[in-house]
Amino acid sequence: MKEKKIEAILEVKNLKKVYMKNDGEPHVAVNGISFELMKGEIFSFLGPNGAGKSTTINMLTAQLTPTDGEIVFQGQSLKDNPIFAKSKVGVVAQHNNLDRGLTARENLIYHGQYFGMSEGDAAKKADELLASFGLTDWGNDYVKSFSGGMAQRLKIARAIMHQPEILFLDEPTTGLDPAYREILWQHVLKLNKEYNTTVFLTTHYMEEPERFSDRVAIYNKGAIKALGTVEELRKKVPSQTIITIVLDALNEDVVKEVKSLADVKDVSVKDEKTFVVYVDNSQKVINELLALIDKKGLALESINLSATTLDDIFIHLTTNDIKND
Amino acid sequence: MEKKLNQFDIFKIMVKRDLLIQSRDWKEFVFRVGMLPFILILTYGFMLPQIGILDADFPNQMFPGMLGMSLLVTGIHGTVVPLAMDFNNTREIEDRLQAPVNVRVVAWAKMFVGIIESWIGALIVLPISLVFMGSYLNISLDFTSGLVLLGVLLLSSVTSATLGLLVGTVVKPPQIAAMFPGFLMPLIFTGAIFFNWAALETIPVMKYITLINPLVYINEALRFILNSGGDTMPIVYSISGIVVFTIVMGYYGMKRFIKMANR
Repeated sequence: MKEKKIEAILEVKNLKKVYMKNDGEPHVAVNGISFELMKGEIFSFLGPNGAGKSTTINMLTAQLTPTDGEIVFQGQSLKDNPIFAKSKVGVVAQHNNLDRGLTARENLIYHGQYFGMSEGDAAKKADELLASFGLTDWGNDYVKSFSGGMAQRLKIARAIMHQPEILFLDEPTTGLDPAYREILWQHVLKLNKEYNTTVFLTTHYMEEPERFSDRVAIYNKGAIKALGTVEELRKKVPSQTIITIVLDALNEDVVKEVKSLADVKDVSVKDEKTFVVYVDNSQKVINELLALIDKKGLALESINLSATTLDDIFIHLTTNDIKND
Repeated sequence: MEKKLNQFDIFKIMVKRDLLIQSRDWKEFVFRVGMLPFILILTYGFMLPQIGILDADFPNQMFPGMLGMSLLVTGIHGTVVPLAMDFNNTREIEDRLQAPVNVRVVAWAKMFVGIIESWIGALIVLPISLVFMGSYLNISLDFTSGLVLLGVLLLSSVTSATLGLLVGTVVKPPQIAAMFPGFLMPLIFTGAIFFNWAALETIPVMKYITLINPLVYINEALRFILNSGGDTMPIVYSISGIVVFTIVMGYYGMKRFIKMANR
């Protein structure tokens, strides 16, 4: 168990970003969010595609100017002293922004030097990281020849070259196979444990924040819907037991009837075939659901009973927003 | 392990990175930079005077124009293409923008590399000119003129990089192909590369329109120094023109760069 961290390293106050669309209409990407990042915590910032997660990261890392609000990094306003903030953070962007004209090793060495490392120290650290991420044999190859997974590993190695105090990981494990996802997390956890590095993570793999995060924010349509530990977020869903049902086709009548069953706390529609039922008495409800499906003449493709996961919390807190879009 | 961060040190590392990448494509660079002046010098500086269509003094008029053209175009190209690709396509510049420096330092590094490239571009013209027009050239430089020439070349290379910074933050990668016919060709051929600006006296409209072209001022200044005055624009005017263009384009180029960096 990690020791409790209470010191805020980053304070975000009423952060807002408004873009002007091509038709001249304003689009609110981030709508006045506020939160704190605690020193040494792993903080997951979860939201659907296009919710504004990357926009938020870009503002927190001094790459994008907010429309309004304040970001305070270790007591210093990011607006007044962006260089100070930039010197303390490492960023893994979603897209490949590696230097294609440089080799993998050179990418790391130059990055280290931008952050004040001597060429010798940077080369030594680069070799260590290349070995850790299984890239030693490709260290002198140009990045333009790299596969997506190799490039992703190198991006992560580059972000931790200068041992940042806050590591921003924007969907870092996308494109990585399970073995390298584990390696990435070993590195992140090592940084977090040994150097008390704070981690700000966005991901679509819900098991990652569930396993590693101290706190999670569920974010959608520019606003934070819920923030807390995974245990605290579990209380945001109507029950701790859920039944996931996949039918050949789903219609509103079925959902309405399922909602009216006793012991059913809530129903979320996941997609055109799948719905999730939050229940108190699972055995009783399963029997009733099966009878209802049979009565309606629908074909049951699968039924699954489970305890509430972060995936379910996320779906519960964001599906209504998505459906209303 | 880490030493104190110094903006100038990081600037030098960024310049070194750009030069390393450019040096890896040096054959392409020499071809790109040398081909246009080579063809123009071969045709207008050698073949046409040889067959008597152009006057034997023409290469003397043309040499400063080739120097100025090569300097300006190389610097623009060396800044525009990487910037347009970096910001809109590869996004490679993000690593440098995340470095703990003012974003202006990143822009200065880009411009500095453009300045170096423009000098190399000007140097490439020298052997081509000597080989094909050497027998026609009548250039004498005293020490003072040599110093003024160096100053003008330096100033012009800065102009070139500022214009590159501005254009590079405006054009998108799909527009790069159109940049040659739509921007560089008009810039070159209205830039008084073959003749004195004053020769446009007979076409007053062209004479005044071409004043919006920074290459006119660069070529007039070079012609004043290399051709020992003659019927060129007074050196004070041409240098003032270069300075004004550098300030205006540098200002707007930097403004655009900061805007692109903070998208």
